[in-house]
Amino acid sequence: MQMREATPEERKRFYAEEWSKRDLPDFILHTISLREFGFDYGEGPSHRYNQFMTVEQLASFLCNKAPYAAYASIALYEQPSMRKGWLKSELVFDVDAKDLPLKSCSCSGGVVCEKCLDEARRIAAMFAETLRSDLNLHNIHFVYSGRGFHVRATDDVVMAMEQTERTQIVEYVTGGVIPADITIALGYSRVFRERVARTFEHLGEEKLLKIRGMRKALAQQLIKEKEKIIAAVRRGSLREIEDFEGMGEKTFQQLLEFLTRLNMELTDGKVTTDTKRILRLPSSLHSGVSMKCILVRDIERFSIEDAIPKFMREGA
Amino acid sequence: MVVPEYVAILDPFAQEAQEIVRRSPQLDAMPPEVIERAINRVKWKSPKEMVVDLSASAIQAEVWSFYMMCQATAAVSFPYSREARLVTDATKETIKYRMYDLFKLGHEDLCLDVVKRSFKFVRLERNDGIRLGDIEIPRADYFKLRDRQLADAGIKEKEIDDRMLPQYVPKYAMRWGNLAPLLRHRLAELTKLYIVDGWAVITPHELWDFFANFIGVKTEDYITSLYERFSDTGAPEKLLNIGERISALIPPEAELRERFMRVPRGRLRPEFFPPCVKKALGGVGAGARNYAITVLLTSFLSYARVSPSGKAVTRMADFIDEISVVREEIAPLIFEAAERCNPPFFRDQPQEKASIFYHLGFGMTTEPRLEDSGRSKWYRVPNCRKIQLAAPPLCEQDELCRNVKSPLTYYHRRFVGQSSLGVGE
Ligand SMILES: [Zn+2]
Repeated sequence: MQMREATPEERKRFYAEEWSKRDLPDFILHTISLREFGFDYGEGPSHRYNQFMTVEQLASFLCNKAPYAAYASIALYEQPSMRKGWLKSELVFDVDAKDLPLKSCSCSGGVVCEKCLDEARRIAAMFAETLRSDLNLHNIHFVYSGRGFHVRATDDVVMAMEQTERTQIVEYVTGGVIPADITIALGYSRVFRERVARTFEHLGEEKLLKIRGMRKALAQQLIKEKEKIIAAVRRGSLREIEDFEGMGEKTFQQLLEFLTRLNMELTDGKVTTDTKRILRLPSSLHSGVSMKCILVRDIERFSIEDAIPKFMREGA
Repeated sequence: MVVPEYVAILDPFAQEAQEIVRRSPQLDAMPPEVIERAINRVKWKSPKEMVVDLSASAIQAEVWSFYMMCQATAAVSFPYSREARLVTDATKETIKYRMYDLFKLGHEDLCLDVVKRSFKFVRLERNDGIRLGDIEIPRADYFKLRDRQLADAGIKEKEIDDRMLPQYVPKYAMRWGNLAPLLRHRLAELTKLYIVDGWAVITPHELWDFFANFIGVKTEDYITSLYERFSDTGAPEKLLNIGERISALIPPEAELRERFMRVPRGRLRPEFFPPCVKKALGGVGAGARNYAITVLLTSFLSYARVSPSGKAVTRMADFIDEISVVREEIAPLIFEAAERCNPPFFRDQPQEKASIFYHLGFGMTTEPRLEDSGRSKWYRVPNCRKIQLAAPPLCEQDELCRNVKSPLTYYHRRFVGQSSLGVGE
């Protein structure tokens, strides 16, 4: 997987030859005149407050300017060009491969690889599954954003919600709060067990040693018995973990809180709670990595191939 | 048999209650016993006080007094003030008790009819197992939920009897999305609910709780809307008098608790400021400069910081002990914002500095002292409509603005929403 910055000529070519309005998702196409658009011409997404009444207007704008990056608001406004008359906002989760709390690759400093991208993809799918099964949302869209994935829900019930409700949804979906009774089979307790098990699976000894009161011998033992611990978490039988030699109640509580904090880092909660956020426009070019930001119809069958622009294929 | 109007005693915002309000006399002709009830209801303690007879006149007095209480409170206080808090808490307790009482008397259906208007819910089916539509609720979960409820209510095993147990047993399921107003105020926690396929499984006790809290939120919103209206037109004298009597009933310990817990009195929290105030703080151009600094920031920052209550809001000195609050906390923010204006505000109009303190009630001065407080009028915070008219560029609404009509309400709403998170970040 090759990622590099696109040249101004390549941007130009992309928007002239490859960009198509058919690549815009319906949920954006149908509300285009109610959204605020933002653009980056190379010095950050500072050109905001743009409104397009039709998709043709947007098309000719993109073709003319060939921006470094293009964004659209998750909010719908009566007057998007003034950000006035807020109507509603999608519920979004930003899962960025470069910001994952635990990675099995060695990427750092904004670089991503197929491995961490795939981890981000799984997390996005997992979030969507909880939104579907627990919160009964049905209009959930996935977008590959260049360095990660966006999960965007457009169900009416969530679009009207304000910050506090959205904060609570983040807590629920990420497993960011320790439940009162972890053994309950369904509902939030199940979400929490799944998230903690997953987080623990990705944990290394080094991370464990960051926990206050964690001794090296215990950390090593925990990693050695990883499978057993994950199984215990899934069963909800935390006692078994607490009873580990050298653990003690205090360290166990610290461990649980540590895992919960890591769960919270699976997504950037600030993005979800900000109802005026702009997100990279699906169909546009991510010039930093020379990848197309695209709607992903089937998250299980996502292929990075679909996101590679022509100029990168030819160059390779 | 219960008369249809009886729903008004559970939901004072229901259609039936609105009808009763429409029949209410002018303020001056309001029966004295209704006025007394409006005041006394904030300190109701016993079941006898909370329960309402089935008679039409009793229901009428109940509804009128509720509205009277809200209006009088709005006349003398501010959104989310201690008075508003007192009234909402009392209302919640009353509604909760009435629900409990009606259930006990076998009028569950009446309660459910009222709840059904605001919340979509179903009963769990209990045949072989416990079912919610196609989903089977595991038996173990059912008992764990019950035990947690009992534990949360502080009920010990030996105290449990057959009469109280049904309150704590899962019985209904409610669409989680209907709980949004409660989630917004952190009166319900998503991660504490048992949600399956979009339905939150709840007990009768939770049903009463949620519904009472829901009415509480609506009461608070209603008082806020009245406050916003009165800040435009002023409140009738008679309401002020009743409001002062309600204000006098705030228990001192509640005042202390509030000071630390909920009311954003104390350090200003800029992260909760509304968009217009944030914009004004960043400095604005020549057109909106005077309004942004002298009118909006001066009133907003002072009311947000001092958070006065009662109608005696003419003197800031009644609510602060030290002039440093004005000189070191409020004024610097205003002066810094003025400096950020283009062109800087006080550079070409130095006399405006005195005008800031004038608007804060200290008379024309640049060196305010506590004893000067009250020399001029302490200007109130303009409502959103006035700001839009006077300085349109300042108003850039976000999702919360949609539901409030005053910048001060915005601040309190954000504060309440966030402070209950219990996190310091
Ligand atoms: Zn990687």
